[in-house]
Amino acid sequence: MSNDDRVNVISVNHLSKRFAEYQAVDNISFTVKQGEILALLGPNGAGKTTTINCLLGFLKPESGRVTIAGIDPVVDVVAVRKQLAYIPEQVALYPKLSGQENLVYMSEVAGVEKSTAQFRLLLNEVNLPDYAIDKPVGSYSKGMRQKVGIAIALAKNAKALVLDEPTSGLDPSASHEFSELIQTLAKEGVAILMATHDLYRAQEDAHSVAIMNKGQLVHSLGGDAIKDAELESLYLQHVRAVSTC
Amino acid sequence: MLTLTLKKEWLEGRREGRTLWLSCIVLVLLACALLSSWHSYQQVQVQKQQVEKSERERWLEQGGKDPHSAAHYGVYVVKPDTGLSVLDPGLTDYQGVVLRLEAHKRNETLFRGIQDAIQMQRFGNLSPAFILQTLLPLLIILFGFHSVAAERESGTLKQLLANGLCPKRFFIAKTLSIYGFALLFFVPLVLYILFTLVFGSSITAYRSALFLISYGVYILIWVLLTLVISSYSRTARSALISLLVVWASTCLFLPKLAIANAESKFPTPSSQIFLSKLESEIYTPERQQAITKFKQDTLDEFGVKSVDELPFAWSGAQLQFGEQYADKVFDRLFGQRQIQLDAQGFHYQSAGILSPFIALQAISMSAAATDLPHHVLFSNAGEKHRRLMQEILNGDLKENGLTKKSDGESYQGDHQLWERIPEFSYQYPPIDTLAKHYGRAAIYLVCWLVLLMFLACLAVQRIKNEGK
Repeated sequence: MSNDDRVNVISVNHLSKRFAEYQAVDNISFTVKQGEILALLGPNGAGKTTTINCLLGFLKPESGRVTIAGIDPVVDVVAVRKQLAYIPEQVALYPKLSGQENLVYMSEVAGVEKSTAQFRLLLNEVNLPDYAIDKPVGSYSKGMRQKVGIAIALAKNAKALVLDEPTSGLDPSASHEFSELIQTLAKEGVAILMATHDLYRAQEDAHSVAIMNKGQLVHSLGGDAIKDAELESLYLQHVRAVSTC
Repeated sequence: MLTLTLKKEWLEGRREGRTLWLSCIVLVLLACALLSSWHSYQQVQVQKQQVEKSERERWLEQGGKDPHSAAHYGVYVVKPDTGLSVLDPGLTDYQGVVLRLEAHKRNETLFRGIQDAIQMQRFGNLSPAFILQTLLPLLIILFGFHSVAAERESGTLKQLLANGLCPKRFFIAKTLSIYGFALLFFVPLVLYILFTLVFGSSITAYRSALFLISYGVYILIWVLLTLVISSYSRTARSALISLLVVWASTCLFLPKLAIANAESKFPTPSSQIFLSKLESEIYTPERQQAITKFKQDTLDEFGVKSVDELPFAWSGAQLQFGEQYADKVFDRLFGQRQIQLDAQGFHYQSAGILSPFIALQAISMSAAATDLPHHVLFSNAGEKHRRLMQEILNGDLKENGLTKKSDGESYQGDHQLWERIPEFSYQYPPIDTLAKHYGRAAIYLVCWLVLLMFLACLAVQRIKNEGK
């Protein structure tokens, strides 16, 4: 299947969201196709998390529309959440439960039915060390928690994966491991939206990049242009340009 | 979802350690309270049976005696109780268990537990009812305050919602897991009630059902209250503080306030003042005038000039007249006091709309027959028996008082007369006939449940809108 044949899984059309006087998101549009990784860049307060919350159905758009696999969360949030997995910056887990227990609980709550062995296999797939699987999550490093988060997403067999600052605070090795995992997911056909500050990871992993600032989508580029671009200068150029307007 | 949540909550609780220890402490306290209450109950039962048996023998074997002397000799009757009084002793220690029935006097009950209590015991009694009504809600709070608030605080709630969690099922699962935990404390109670139902006769299925259902509803109210406040709180800490304020208000302060308010609004005289009032209102010049008039009316009726000419013993008739005169005063003064006590009870129970603790207290004591209305029923039954006893003895004196024994001594009653006084036997009426005493409290408890179910629906909505 060529790039063009792939269907849009995540679709954002003229999305706007305002909090009182503050315009958090201002008429942005983008799509993420099946198997594509889109890196959403931007400084703090750019509107990345607000966009994600609209996709998750936690926020209702002021205007415009978002869809996941063709379903509008405003219309059917339950159906959307079945198609979508979400990994926040700090994967929220129960510290007293082990990685395996967290995975089982989070997955079964979402209606996923698997055997204990299958759940364990998922944790092996995300390279969670064997010794850690049955240990309380309270003793995990951030990287290990992120891996449990990915295992939860894998268990769900979601069509779309939304990541909010996934590599923030990870050491280079853990960040690299994380990158490999999402690359694998993308190859399996999952559409991935990754809001991040990590320009290096965006350049390495993403198939397309969108830069947001002050609620607006100020620049986007895709394909080989990402690898060739001086992403840092481009980012600073757009962020500063809008800032000085 | 339910099994899953139960398992997860159990694992977390077990690893937390603190909840497990707290639960064990409360469970041990409950078991101790139940055992010590049952032990005391057994001791009292043995004493009661001995008193009942020896009292009848004492009465029948008192020998030849003037019937009026026998009326003063009197009998002691014992207040019945139900096996549920082991679980909720209610006002038993303040009301006494033995009533002396004698001529001219309507006595208050004797042998109040509180009189025999040592100084330290007066600080509070550890009964199963106290643990279930006061400590179990506290344990529910400590077990469940973080249920939703901590999930919100740590971000797991958002993550669960993003994963497709159904808020309604989540809330129900949380409710059932805490309720299931709280119901563990019912096991000793249910076992005791079943044991008493099977092997004892002092407890009825209706009273037991009312007792268990009302506690079941009360516990559910606290579970829902805990979850609703937890759902509305931003942090687990604020949820805990809010819940502790509600607990202290409804279980500690409000009952004290309601009692003080009821006492000041509907004051009753102290026992000493009341007894002296009884004396002073019976032995009045009006009484003497009434006796004189009765004497004159009797002489006129029989067309004689002196009581010695009457065909019966005047002393018997006069004593019965005096008894009936005093009975009217008793009815009036006890009636007035009862109106005040009923008003106090009504006023106190009204606070049940603000405190489920007060509402449950009324139902629990009623089911266990340890409340004031049950005491009044016994007291009235005793008084009825006393009046019957005086009527028989005075009637016998009136009828036979003129006869002299062969040795010229005045008339004396014998074993045959004593046997004419029936043995006092009283059983409380079925609990459903006393609904007027606890019906309002039951309605308040149901109102609390309905209100919390409504708030629970709003809490589910709030969870659904999480993050918006």
